Amino acid sequence: MTETAIIHPSKEAGSAVDIVRVRKDFGSAVGVADVSLTIRNGEFVTLLGPSGCGKSTLLGMIAGFVTPTAGKIVVDGADITDLEPYRRDIGMVFQSYALFPHMNVHDNIAFGLRMRKLPAAQVEKEVARAIAMMKLEGFEARRVRQLSGGQQQRVALARAIVIRPKVLLLDEPLSALDKNLRAQMQVELSELHRKTGLTTIFVTHDQGEALSLSDRIVVMNKGAVQQVAAPIELYRQPANGFVASFIGEINALPPGRCELKDGTASLVLPGVGPLVFPTAPATGFAPGRQVRAFLRPEHVRPVLAGEAGPNVVTGKVEAHIYQGSHTITRVVVEGIGLVETRVTGAEIVASAPVGASLGLAFDLSEAVLLDTAD
Amino acid sequence: MIQKRPFFITFLAPAVLTAVILAAAIFEVLQYSVREFVPGSLNVGGLTLENFARINRPIYWWVLADTFFISLLTAVFSLLASYPVAYALVRAKKDWVRSALVSLSITPLFTGEIVRTFSWMLTLGTDGFINSMLRKLGLIDMPIQLMYTRFGVVVALVQFSMPVMIILLATAIAHVDRDCERAAANLGASPSAVFWRVTLPLTLPGILSGIVVVFAWTMSAFSTPQLIGGGKILMISNLAYLQGFSVLNLPFAATLSLIALVCALGSLALMKTITGRIERRLAVN
Ligand SMILES: Nc1ncnc2c1ncn2[C@@H]1O[C@H](COP(=O)(O)OP(=O)(O)OP(=O)(O)O)[C@@H](O)[C@H]1O
Ligand SMILES: [Mg+2]
Repeated sequence: MTETAIIHPSKEAGSAVDIVRVRKDFGSAVGVADVSLTIRNGEFVTLLGPSGCGKSTLLGMIAGFVTPTAGKIVVDGADITDLEPYRRDIGMVFQSYALFPHMNVHDNIAFGLRMRKLPAAQVEKEVARAIAMMKLEGFEARRVRQLSGGQQQRVALARAIVIRPKVLLLDEPLSALDKNLRAQMQVELSELHRKTGLTTIFVTHDQGEALSLSDRIVVMNKGAVQQVAAPIELYRQPANGFVASFIGEINALPPGRCELKDGTASLVLPGVGPLVFPTAPATGFAPGRQVRAFLRPEHVRPVLAGEAGPNVVTGKVEAHIYQGSHTITRVVVEGIGLVETRVTGAEIVASAPVGASLGLAFDLSEAVLLDTAD
Repeated sequence: MIQKRPFFITFLAPAVLTAVILAAAIFEVLQYSVREFVPGSLNVGGLTLENFARINRPIYWWVLADTFFISLLTAVFSLLASYPVAYALVRAKKDWVRSALVSLSITPLFTGEIVRTFSWMLTLGTDGFINSMLRKLGLIDMPIQLMYTRFGVVVALVQFSMPVMIILLATAIAHVDRDCERAAANLGASPSAVFWRVTLPLTLPGILSGIVVVFAWTMSAFSTPQLIGGGKILMISNLAYLQGFSVLNLPFAATLSLIALVCALGSLALMKTITGRIERRLAVN
C-alpha cells in the first residue's frame, strides 16, 4: 500500500513536457540547437549523446537553471519558460547528487516538503514513505557523508520524488557508481519508474543504459536531435550514420547502388560486386538509388575460406577482440575496408589466426540503408 | 628521518630560530612580571608577586572587560560588513566587478596601520569628513563626538580587520557546491531560503574562523585604540604601554602583557572549542 502511495496525480494520457524549438547559445557556440520534443505522461525518456552534445544544458533549461536563448518549454500545459526554478515542481537528481552535507538523511529528504510548508506530521509521513520506498530504513539520522555511493544515490532519488514532481530529471545519476552497483541501480530505477509512474527524463552517454531503461531514446549530437525512437527501433532503424555508429557496433559499407533484377533486390558495391537481399528491404531501397549500407557484426558470419556462395567476400584477419561470451573479429576486405564479425565463443581465435584469410557471409536482411549524404 | 631528508634542518632553521627568540622574549616578560618595581629607576628589584595582586582592582578588570567587548564587537561587525562583499566578490558575473572588489578589499592590507589610523582620525574628527558632510547637509549644528569614543575605535578596527575577514569568507563561499544551491532551488527554496538554509550553513566554518581570527587579532590591537581612543578608550595593550613607558613601571607592564597574552590564548581556546562543537554538529567538513 505504501508503495502505490506516491503515484503521479495525473497519469492520464497526454503530454507532460513540450519542448518547442528550444535553443541555447553560449556566445557564439551552440549549446542546444532548436530542439523540439514531446514527452508523454508517465514516459521514461532518455537523452543520449556524446560528451558536450548539450544534454545537461537541455535538462538545465527544463529545471530552470539555464535560460533558453529562444523557444518555449511547456509542462503540464503551462508555459514555464520564464518561471523561476523554485516554482517549477520539477524533481532533479544531479550527477554529483548535491546532497546537503550539513543535514542528515531524514532532513535532506524532508527539505522539499518543508519548503512547501507542509504540516510536520505530513512531512514525517511522506519522508517515511520515501525512505521505505528507497530502502533507506535505519539511515535516517546518518550524515550523507557517511553513506556509500549507492546509498547517496537513493537519498538523492528519495529527495527528488518525495515532492511528487511533475517531471523527474536524472542527469547521469549512475555514472559515479561502479559497474555492479550501476546494474543494480538500473533495475531499481526502472522499478521506481514503474511504481511511481513519474514522467522521467534520464541523461546518459552510456548506450547500454539507454537501451535497457527507456521507453524512448532521444539521440543528440552537437546540440541537435538526431533521432527519437524506441530502443528496438533505434537499434534496427537508425535514422542516420551518426545514430547507426553511436548505438552499438556497426559496419559501414562503402556507397553502392540499389538494383532490382528478376525480382531480386541487390546492392552493387563497386569493385566487390552485388550483395543480394533475401527479401527486398522495406525502407531505403529504390532501384538506381545510391545508398550506404550499415550492417551489425552479428549479421556478418565467418565462413571457411574458399566456400563460395551468395554475399561471401574474403578478407584478411587483422585482430580478435575476445569478450568472454563472444569474440569480435576484425577483417580487412578489399573494396570494403574494415569489417567486424561477432561470433559466440572463442574458437575463431584458433581457426582463423591473425593474418589468415577468412570468408565473410553478409546477411543483408537486417541491413540499414541510408542516403550517402547522411 | 633526517638522513632521508638532508635539507630538513636547513629548512627548519629559520622557524626554530624565530621560536627560540620568541620564547626567550616571553621568558623575559615572565621574569619581569615577578620583579619589584623600583620607582624612579629602570632597574628592577627582587622577586615578588605584588604585581599580580595589584591586577585585582576594578580599573584593570574594567580595561580587560572592555578589551573583550571591543574585540567581540569588532569581530561581529566585521563579519556583517564583510559577508556581502565576500559574496559579491565570489559570485559577481562580470570579471571586472570581481577584480575591482578584490583590489578594493585587499589594498588596505598594504597601507600601514598608522596610515590607516591617521586617515580615520581625519574622517572621524570634529572637523573631519563625516562631521563636515553632515553639517553641509544641514543634518547637525554641532559636531558629533566620534573621536575618543568606543564607537570610533570599533569602526576603525572593523575596517582594519575586513580584508582578513573577506579573504576567509570568500574562500568559504567559493567552496560552496553550486549544485547544492541548485538542488535547494529545485526542491522549492526561494533565493532567500537557499541562502539561509544552504549557503550560510555551508560557509559556517569560514564564518567561525573569521570571527576567531579577527577577535584574537583585535585583542592585541594597539595603535588604533591608542590614537583614536586617545587615552579615553583603553585596551589592554594601551594600559601596558601606559605603565611601561609613561609610569616606567616595567614589571607591572610585563604583568599586564602576560595577562593579555593569557586572556587572548584563553579566549582563542574557548572559541575553538565552541566552533569545533558547532562544526561537528553540522559536519560540514
Ligand atoms: N556555461 C557555459 N558557458 C559556455 N559554454 C557552455 C556552458 N555550459 C555548457 N557549455 C557548452 O555547451 C555544450 C553542451 O554542454 P552540456 O554540458 O550540455 O553537455 P553534455 O551533453 O551534458 O555533456 P556531458 O556528457 O559531458 O555532461 C558544450 O560544448 C559546453 O562546452
Ligand atoms: Mg552533462
